[in-house]
Amino acid sequence: MKPAPIAYVRPDTVERAVGLLSESGGEAKVLAGGQSLVPMLNLRIAAFERLVDVTGLPGLRSASDEGSEVRLGACVTHERIQTGDVPDPSNGLMPSTASRIAYQAVRNRGTIGGSLALADPAADWLATMAALGAAIEWVGPDGPGSCPAEAFVEAAYTTRLGLYDVLTGIRIPRLHPDARWGTYKLCRKTGEFAHAMAIAIRQPGGCRAFLGATEGAPIRLPAVEDMLAGLRGWDASDAARLGEAMAADVAAAGRSLSDVHAWQSRTCLARAVAMSFGAAPPRLGRAA
Amino acid sequence: MSSPRTIRFTLNGEPVSATIMPHETLVDVLQHRFDLRGARESCGQGLCGCCTVHVDGKPVSGCLFLAVFADGARVDTVEGLARGDALDPVQEAFIEAGAFQCGFCTPGFVMMVKQLLKEHPEPTDEEVRHYLTGNLCRCSAYPEILDAVKLASARQAEAARRA
Repeated sequence: MKPAPIAYVRPDTVERAVGLLSESGGEAKVLAGGQSLVPMLNLRIAAFERLVDVTGLPGLRSASDEGSEVRLGACVTHERIQTGDVPDPSNGLMPSTASRIAYQAVRNRGTIGGSLALADPAADWLATMAALGAAIEWVGPDGPGSCPAEAFVEAAYTTRLGLYDVLTGIRIPRLHPDARWGTYKLCRKTGEFAHAMAIAIRQPGGCRAFLGATEGAPIRLPAVEDMLAGLRGWDASDAARLGEAMAADVAAAGRSLSDVHAWQSRTCLARAVAMSFGAAPPRLGRAA
Repeated sequence: MSSPRTIRFTLNGEPVSATIMPHETLVDVLQHRFDLRGARESCGQGLCGCCTVHVDGKPVSGCLFLAVFADGARVDTVEGLARGDALDPVQEAFIEAGAFQCGFCTPGFVMMVKQLLKEHPEPTDEEVRHYLTGNLCRCSAYPEILDAVKLASARQAEAARRA
C-alpha cells in the first residue's frame, strides 16, 4: 500500500495549473482532495508522473450566495456542505447528501469538484447536481468553459473536461422554497459507493427525477417527472406505475439496466418519491 | 521528477520539520520519522479509520493524506491527547468501558470520537454510529465502544457543569 514516486506541484493560479497540465502531456493528474486519487495511487491502479494540487488556487475553496444561485468553488469539502458552512441552495438536499458520502474522515477532506471530475458513476454529486440543474465550470487552455451538470458526464470516469482543463466551480440554482425532495441510495455497507441511487424533486414549475449509480452518466427520468407533477400524495400502490415510467425512461435514454439493477433502482426511486411526500429519511450510520 | 522537499508543521503542539518525498503519506511519516506509532496503516483506502489523525482540528485518514499536504498545518495524534500522566477523558472512557481487545483500531476511534463530541456533546446512538462508520474494530467491541462514547460524553457534561 505504498504509492510509487510522483512529482507534486501546488500552483497558485489557474493559468499556471493549466500550463502545468499542458506541459505534462497527459502524464499529470489534478488533485483536489485526494480521497479517491490517493487510494488509487496506494493500490497502484493509477500511475501519473505529476500531481497538480489545485486546493491552493484562488477562489476554489470559497462559496458565494448570489441570490438566485449559489456558486461553490471546486475544492469545497463534503464536510463544509454537510455542516452548513457554505450556503445551501437546495432546501437541505445537499447537506443530507454530503452527510451520506463515505465516512467522516473522507468527508473532511474530499471535495465536490474532485468527485465530479473523477466521475465515478456511483458518486453522489453527479446525480445530485444534475437533478438540481447545476452548471459545471472549468478553465482550460482555451479559457473558461461550462456545461449543465446533466450533460457533464459522457461515460463512467469520462466527462466533458479535456485533459488540461481544471474544474473550478459549480453554480447551483436555488430550489423553489416549496420544493420537496427525496433521495435514496442502496449500499451494502454504510459509506461505500452505492449500487443504486435515485433523486426526486417536486416543485412548482417542473419536477426532476434522476437515477445515479448507473455505470455511466446519471439517467434523467422525464416520464417519472410528469407522473410526479400529477401526484398529490404517495401510496404504495403507485409503485407499479412509477416502475413502468422509470423503465420507459431508461429505454428512451438508450440505456439498459440488468434485472437486479433495475429492481434496486426502482426501489430507490419509490423510496425517494415517498420521502419527498414526507416519509422518514433512512437513518444515518446504517446501510440501506 | 520526484524530488524530496522539506515540510514544516505543528505536531502535537511542537513546531517540527521533515524532509519527505511527495508520494509519502502522513501516516508513514508519523510512524517512521517521528516514531509516533498510534496511527496505523491498515487498509490504505480510507475504509478502516486506523490511521485517523487530526489536521487543523479535523480528523483525516493519514493513509489518504500525502505528507506534503501537512506543510504549514497543525497535526494532532493520539500521542498528544494526554496531559502529563492524565489521559484524555475519551481514552479513560475507552479503558473503563473495556472498549477494545487488541487495541489496533483504538487510536483511530479515539481521534474520531474527539470530533464527534466536539460537534455533538451529547450524541444520540444514530450520531455515534454515523461518525464511527468509517472506523472498523475487527475484535468487534462495538457495543463497548458505544458505551465508552456515552461515558465520555457524560463526563464531559459533568466537567462542564462544574466549571
